[in-house]
Amino acid sequence: MIVLAQAVLYGTPLLYAALGELLAERSGVLNLGVEGMMLFGAAIGFWITQRVEGSTPVVLFLAVVASAIAGAAMAAIHAFLVITLRANQIVSGLALTIFAGGLGLSAYVGTELGLADLPATHQFRDLDVLGLGDLPLVGPIVFDQSALVYASWGLTLLVALYLGRTRWGLNVRAVGEAPASADVMGINVTLYRYVHVLVGGAFAGVAGACYSLSITAGWTSGDTLVGGAGWIAIALVIFAFWRAELCLAGAYLFGALSALPFALQARDVEVAPEFLYALPYVMTIVVLVLVSTGLAKRRLGAPAALGVPYVREER
Amino acid sequence: MKLERRLTQPWWLSVAVPVGSLVVAFALMGVVLALTGHSAWETYRKIFEAGFTGNGAMSATLISATPILFTGLAAAAAFRMQLFNIGAEGQLYLGAIGASWIALQLGDRDVTSTPVFAVAMCVAAAVLGALWASIPGVLRAFARTNEIITSLMLNYVAGLLLTYLIFDSSSYWRDTSTLQARSFPQGKPMPEASNWPTFGSSVVVPLGFLIGILVALGLWVLYTRMRFGFEVGVIADSPRAARYAGMRTRRKILSVMALSGAIAGIGGASQIGDFTYTLDGSPTGLQAAAFGYTGIVVAALARYNPFAVCLVAVLIGGLLNAGYTLQGPDFPSGLVGVMQGIILFCALGGELLLRYRLRITRVRAGKPVAEASL
Amino acid sequence: MTGITKRFPGVVANDGVNFEAASGEVHALLGENGAGKTTLSNILTGLYRQDEGEIELWGERIRFHSPRDALDAGICMVHQHFRLVEPFSVAENVVLGDHRGEGRRVILRTSATERRVDELSQRYGLAVNPKSKIWQLSIGEQQRVEILKALYRDARVLIMDEPTAVLTPQEAEKLFDTLRTMAGEGKTVIFISHKLHEVKAVADRVTVLRGGKTVTTVDAAPATPRSLASLMVGREIDVAPPLEQARQLADVRTLEVDGLTVLGDRGETAVNDVSFAIREGEIVGVAGVAGNGQRELAEALSGMRDIRAGSVRVAGRPLRGGDPREAIRAGVAHVPEDRLGTGLAPSLSVTSNVVIKTYRSRSLSHGPLLALRRMRETAVGIIGRYDVKTPGPGTPVRNLSGGNLQKLVLGREFANDPLVLVVAQPTRGLDVGAIETVHSYLRDAAAKGVAILLMSEDLDEIRALADRILVIYEGEIVGELHAGAASVEEIGLLMAGGARE
Repeated sequence: MIVLAQAVLYGTPLLYAALGELLAERSGVLNLGVEGMMLFGAAIGFWITQRVEGSTPVVLFLAVVASAIAGAAMAAIHAFLVITLRANQIVSGLALTIFAGGLGLSAYVGTELGLADLPATHQFRDLDVLGLGDLPLVGPIVFDQSALVYASWGLTLLVALYLGRTRWGLNVRAVGEAPASADVMGINVTLYRYVHVLVGGAFAGVAGACYSLSITAGWTSGDTLVGGAGWIAIALVIFAFWRAELCLAGAYLFGALSALPFALQARDVEVAPEFLYALPYVMTIVVLVLVSTGLAKRRLGAPAALGVPYVREER
Repeated sequence: MKLERRLTQPWWLSVAVPVGSLVVAFALMGVVLALTGHSAWETYRKIFEAGFTGNGAMSATLISATPILFTGLAAAAAFRMQLFNIGAEGQLYLGAIGASWIALQLGDRDVTSTPVFAVAMCVAAAVLGALWASIPGVLRAFARTNEIITSLMLNYVAGLLLTYLIFDSSSYWRDTSTLQARSFPQGKPMPEASNWPTFGSSVVVPLGFLIGILVALGLWVLYTRMRFGFEVGVIADSPRAARYAGMRTRRKILSVMALSGAIAGIGGASQIGDFTYTLDGSPTGLQAAAFGYTGIVVAALARYNPFAVCLVAVLIGGLLNAGYTLQGPDFPSGLVGVMQGIILFCALGGELLLRYRLRITRVRAGKPVAEASL
Repeated sequence: MTGITKRFPGVVANDGVNFEAASGEVHALLGENGAGKTTLSNILTGLYRQDEGEIELWGERIRFHSPRDALDAGICMVHQHFRLVEPFSVAENVVLGDHRGEGRRVILRTSATERRVDELSQRYGLAVNPKSKIWQLSIGEQQRVEILKALYRDARVLIMDEPTAVLTPQEAEKLFDTLRTMAGEGKTVIFISHKLHEVKAVADRVTVLRGGKTVTTVDAAPATPRSLASLMVGREIDVAPPLEQARQLADVRTLEVDGLTVLGDRGETAVNDVSFAIREGEIVGVAGVAGNGQRELAEALSGMRDIRAGSVRVAGRPLRGGDPREAIRAGVAHVPEDRLGTGLAPSLSVTSNVVIKTYRSRSLSHGPLLALRRMRETAVGIIGRYDVKTPGPGTPVRNLSGGNLQKLVLGREFANDPLVLVVAQPTRGLDVGAIETVHSYLRDAAAKGVAILLMSEDLDEIRALADRILVIYEGEIVGELHAGAASVEEIGLLMAGGARE
């Protein structure tokens, strides 16, 4: 059952990032800069824990808020280019990854602030909720997780309710499917897109903080801190058919897959780890193919206007 | 203030915008540097020296420029038809795998002619790269699956394949001859004769770079003077019109993806033949270099024109090279990524001016008072 | 609305337009395609902002900054192209963006909306199931959803933009009833159209626009189709097309369609066991409401769509389906209704578009290499011969006006000496001058022996050009009439599925 525990551990940042990307994509904007936003958020979050004095819960809270803001700031660049200036969303997202990523801004900030090799002064620890952490099977999974994990569950619920039941959720879905119709019905397409991309960035920032404040509890230069999780998150959104609750399931599934090799090795099963690591990617391709063919498209598919800039006053 | 779609595009604007965005980017970066206590002027001077003018700088720059020349051309070839092949990264890996395989095979058969090696490596690399790119190509052409995500996913699979071949298997590529090689996994060294020649002495030009220029020329001719390119242009603009006119759209999607993959693959061959002389499967080697993604940046900046790609590849190569050389306590780390990012952002923003015209009118009581347009 | 002026790059859509409507009336806005009706209504609904001029609502001067302002003020528009969200249900579409009443809640209760939708649909005779998804509904039903959206918001001004283009004459009658009911309740209905008999049927008053300017406003009752038409066009025209003598035609069958069955986009049977033949030089018109299989039929003949069953023969030789290149080679030319989206590549030059089908021929390319100069010369030839007004052969085709686009496409198709011409909605959106030119090209082609299949929603056009008229309904040919003998009522009845007497 170590696998399940690992699944939750590694799956949590995936979940945060995926929920964020989900919101952005539901409004019709593809943001490929997730990896960059996560790295930047990780750096900023870690920096706060080093600089701010106070009790652990307070400092961690501030750190999370700071990483959210950092992620949103990065997303703002993409949002401006893509929504207002109608630039190509793919190129802009990639540019953001390079700009903010391990060879870019997060490295710059990290070295300027001297974050490398610093010991973690505050980090998220598992909370033994109600003392039930020792229950067999269920205990460690449900009751012995860190605040970040519990918050992610709450967030999933919130996002699912938001999209499915609230009037703002209906509006944003309309913006992603048929922006022209939404515009005519009086919905501010630009505003909705900006908000959702920025919030998506904030979530990505928090996802990054999961690494520097919990999993690795430290900061290192380069890409290895997050290790490609941002790209997996993008795949995850598709794999989850753009539904929040499926993001949760998928995140833990992908998280489990990354932990599987060690578990199997422990049982002397000879499978090259690479095959298992490759599974999430291959599965995503399969899902994408299924979603793209014909009839499934209407019920399970991507928001129809995903990736297309919306222009109103065009002849 | 309004944005109006342009009716025609003056040719000088196509050059002015990228150049202008470079200027703006440098200015912005200068501000950032100044704010963080570095001298912008000094930093730029150092970059320029390390990248272009210093002793041996140009040669080192060409080393950085060659792979991104290939991936840039690969991206340009595909993006021009609105096929967003993000998979140049993985296609390059596959190309490297193919090239090293044929080099080892020929070496086993005691072939000693370098031209034979070079040609064989390029062919093998192109074939494998094309095949790898055909996967998202087929899926896009026949299952209408978005190629962005599929090619992206396959990058990771390719990387894992590469790691597998060297680290977790006793594959043909792996060097198992010495005890040290068995404990610290590495690829077999390539036969001597397979090392690609270089040209020039003060500025050392790798064979790969020259091949890249040829590929650029070929791509230009293909896209502007040949039926292939005409069809690409129509499909890019309106797939419906292409179908209406009897064009074989699906076949074209497949061929363009394969072409793109082949070019990226040759980039992989160049890595083996020009520089590494072995298949480097470690996570810190080929996979960390991000050639594929940087190539997309190059292509975007060059606005998908093959000749411009050559130029931009050298520029970015210089920037990257300077980044490696100058790394240290004096030189801010991460500067390279930040600069690339800002340059690209400015280019993307400038793109707007090419498609739209900015019209500033002052309106008073419903009547336009003054008008200016850019 | 007074002194409304609106400019776009290259054209002045509205030029000092004055327009007023009263509550409790159905006021028609009449004008040809391109006269500025849609632009004016887009300004009224807040989608565009006027460059000059003022709008007053119930005596108060207002300024709209967005569509939401207009909706709040009670102005709703039903567009020609519906603004619906396909994956959503009817109820969701109706409540979308509504920030009063039910929509005000953060958590939506769809059941309440559905009940209200049911209520409204009963009251105004707009039957539709609030739970169905939009993609499941027919076009007529979708239009009802659009109207329900307006009623749900207690619209006081309802603007209908060419609503009957997608309806049968009988459905149109029902719509007119609904509109009169609404006017009777004190609402203002603005009815945009270019169809004279409809305007007469439903409107109280008519305002005529021409070339972006207001011509005049008259009462509908005393006006005649002829007087309205001359106001629309600026000169006396003959409204009823003359009854032509049947032309002498050779007895050679150029196009033979036998038992043709074609599937539509959703897998449904769009064309069902259709058989007909067109002789050399004959113009056969296909009358029918949009969406009854015309598009699929045209696509099947030109190879853009697979043939499920049946056969097509061109000049005696069977045509393999599903391959546009085959159709082109067999001599089938196709002028699609979607000019700039299907028939032309909008950003490419005139030259590229002229050779788009023929670039492979030996005269235009040497093997894989293009003969660019030869291509240019071909384009210049067509521009001259068909009077296409363009700055040059290198101009992007999207810069051309509708009329010139159509001339270009026709010119291109004729240049290949086709045996069969399939043409759909050739004069949609064109001004009268261009319409006459296009009609003359079609007649010339027929005189030279081209077999023409003309699909049009404009019954006047079909009656003016065709030798024979086929009526298509739900994918089947339900009637075949000789042009001189057919009356509008008879055709309309067949279009709606009524049996022949």
